[in-house]
Amino acid sequence: MTEQTQVHAAPAGPVFWPKPTDTNPKLRVGFFGLTGCAGCQLSVLFNEDEILRLVEIIDVTAFPFVRERNIERDFDFLFVEGLVASRNDLETLQKLRERTKVLVALGACAHTGCVPAYRNFTLKENYEHLLYVKDRGIEDINPSPVDDYVKIDHTIPGCPPDKREILSFITDIVGGNKPKTFNNPVCIECRRNNNACLLESGKPCLGPVTRGGCNAVCVNGGFECWGCRGLTDDANVPAMVKLLEEKGYSKEFIRDRMRMFAGLKMPAEVEIIFRAANNKP
Amino acid sequence: MTAAYSMNRANLNPFLSAIAGDFELIAPVRTDIVRFEAVSDPAKICLDEQPFFPLKEFFFRKHEVILKFDGKRFTAPLKKAPKRVFFGVRRCDLNGVLHQDMVFSSGVADPYYAAQREDSLLIGFHCNEAPSEHCFCGSLDLKDFHDLMFFDRGEAYLVQVGSGKGAAFLKKFKKFFTASDYAVTDEDRFIEGVDKLKVKDISGVYDNPGWKPMVDACLSCGACTTLCPTCYCFELREVPSLQDESSERVREWSSCQLKEFTKVSGGFVYRESREDRFKHRIFHQLDYFKEKNGVNLCVGCGRCITGCPTRIDFVTGINEMKA
Repeated sequence: MTEQTQVHAAPAGPVFWPKPTDTNPKLRVGFFGLTGCAGCQLSVLFNEDEILRLVEIIDVTAFPFVRERNIERDFDFLFVEGLVASRNDLETLQKLRERTKVLVALGACAHTGCVPAYRNFTLKENYEHLLYVKDRGIEDINPSPVDDYVKIDHTIPGCPPDKREILSFITDIVGGNKPKTFNNPVCIECRRNNNACLLESGKPCLGPVTRGGCNAVCVNGGFECWGCRGLTDDANVPAMVKLLEEKGYSKEFIRDRMRMFAGLKMPAEVEIIFRAANNKP
Repeated sequence: MTAAYSMNRANLNPFLSAIAGDFELIAPVRTDIVRFEAVSDPAKICLDEQPFFPLKEFFFRKHEVILKFDGKRFTAPLKKAPKRVFFGVRRCDLNGVLHQDMVFSSGVADPYYAAQREDSLLIGFHCNEAPSEHCFCGSLDLKDFHDLMFFDRGEAYLVQVGSGKGAAFLKKFKKFFTASDYAVTDEDRFIEGVDKLKVKDISGVYDNPGWKPMVDACLSCGACTTLCPTCYCFELREVPSLQDESSERVREWSSCQLKEFTKVSGGFVYRESREDRFKHRIFHQLDYFKEKNGVNLCVGCGRCITGCPTRIDFVTGINEMKA
């Protein structure tokens, strides 16, 4: 086994989800950011009404985004925002993984690579001149989601994640429960909110194949779903692509739209649908 | 109750205004689409189209806290709906209410449903022609189920009384009506071209290969079940409080089209394949429910087709299977 595979390997056996105990009543929780816009960490803080209660029931040992002094070890739970885009990101991530029992990917960048990973779909000459490497000496790696390098135990998807989902995750772990992942499409919540279907008005809404849990927030505001929470486990992508093509969208358009947020986590069989489009210049 | 009345066309809006003065009036209104909403100005009511969403959300709530736990004791927060009058409800939707009554009010009655349903009065509006291209109510054995039913007869409305509650209500507003000795016949109830589903017993087509194109087009998005006036499946969740020991038990609409729907403890999913889920809905609507209750659950409103993103027309699909 090479050194590298050792670092990347998942811990053996089932994941042990820590629970508060009499001797250790407060879970030790950290929040970290890799390369990203910090919007997901802000989503944690947007729970303004609950944040004081939150720091009462869990021990937030590290949150460098808002705190100067941090204890960067022995995490029961660690939330990681952003994706790996530099050597420094990778080293931080690997170090943190070793010090964490349950690692939670917070937000779309950590989950799928999201917008920053879009670079993978274009030629180097298109972005090379924009890299910080020259000015700052940052060692650049191809942007990729967190689970390309370390094992993820839970994902809170979304760009940004729903602040209430972060809250209910913490409520669950404090109560000793394992949080549930929402695996229903956006349409479920959207129709429940009595929204008129945007597909009916010809918009390229990705709601039917996108994991919900966001309460269809975009469609509630009249804006079609771009799939920021990634595909559901049950997504019927061929039918979705066919539907959008019937509505007049090209395969290239559909591919680009679907890649925007779910890009690097698009299943191989889905990329095959787009192969015809890929071959075009 | 077969008593019939007639109402001069010019009397309709004053009648509805009078209702809105005394009750909460809910009727189809055109906003971005046509939907049932509380309305005070009858001029806003739209009777030309089938409302996109059915009536069921007013009785079977989408999201409801059914139990509260304060750390020591449970309480059931029963909130009674105000007195509501529903106007402009089509025969299919009325039967949808009837079928949901069968589910929630027979045997051990569901108190949450009852609290919403009790003080409601249903005024139907009969279709002269099918309001949607996918209507197939004529293929189903629908019943007269209304407190009052309006038939549009040009100059005047023919009004059929369907219950004691309806008769009492009509008496209260009698100045708008004229008594008539006319009896409503099957001819009045006839709507042309809605006998679309030709197969009356679908039990034999479960394994037919004709399902495949429909299943392939299915996105499993749950639009069909959400828009269905009769689908009544729900899920229960515990929502613990962050602040203290308290907790709430929430009931929310669910859908048999979702993989999560049949997931049980340990992660096993009973209806894993899209095909099983798709067929389950159709067979529950047109076969299983009838076996148990003597009547099809489906009322033929066609919303599961009009509201389906990929327009899966299972009515045509089933017809073609037998042919």
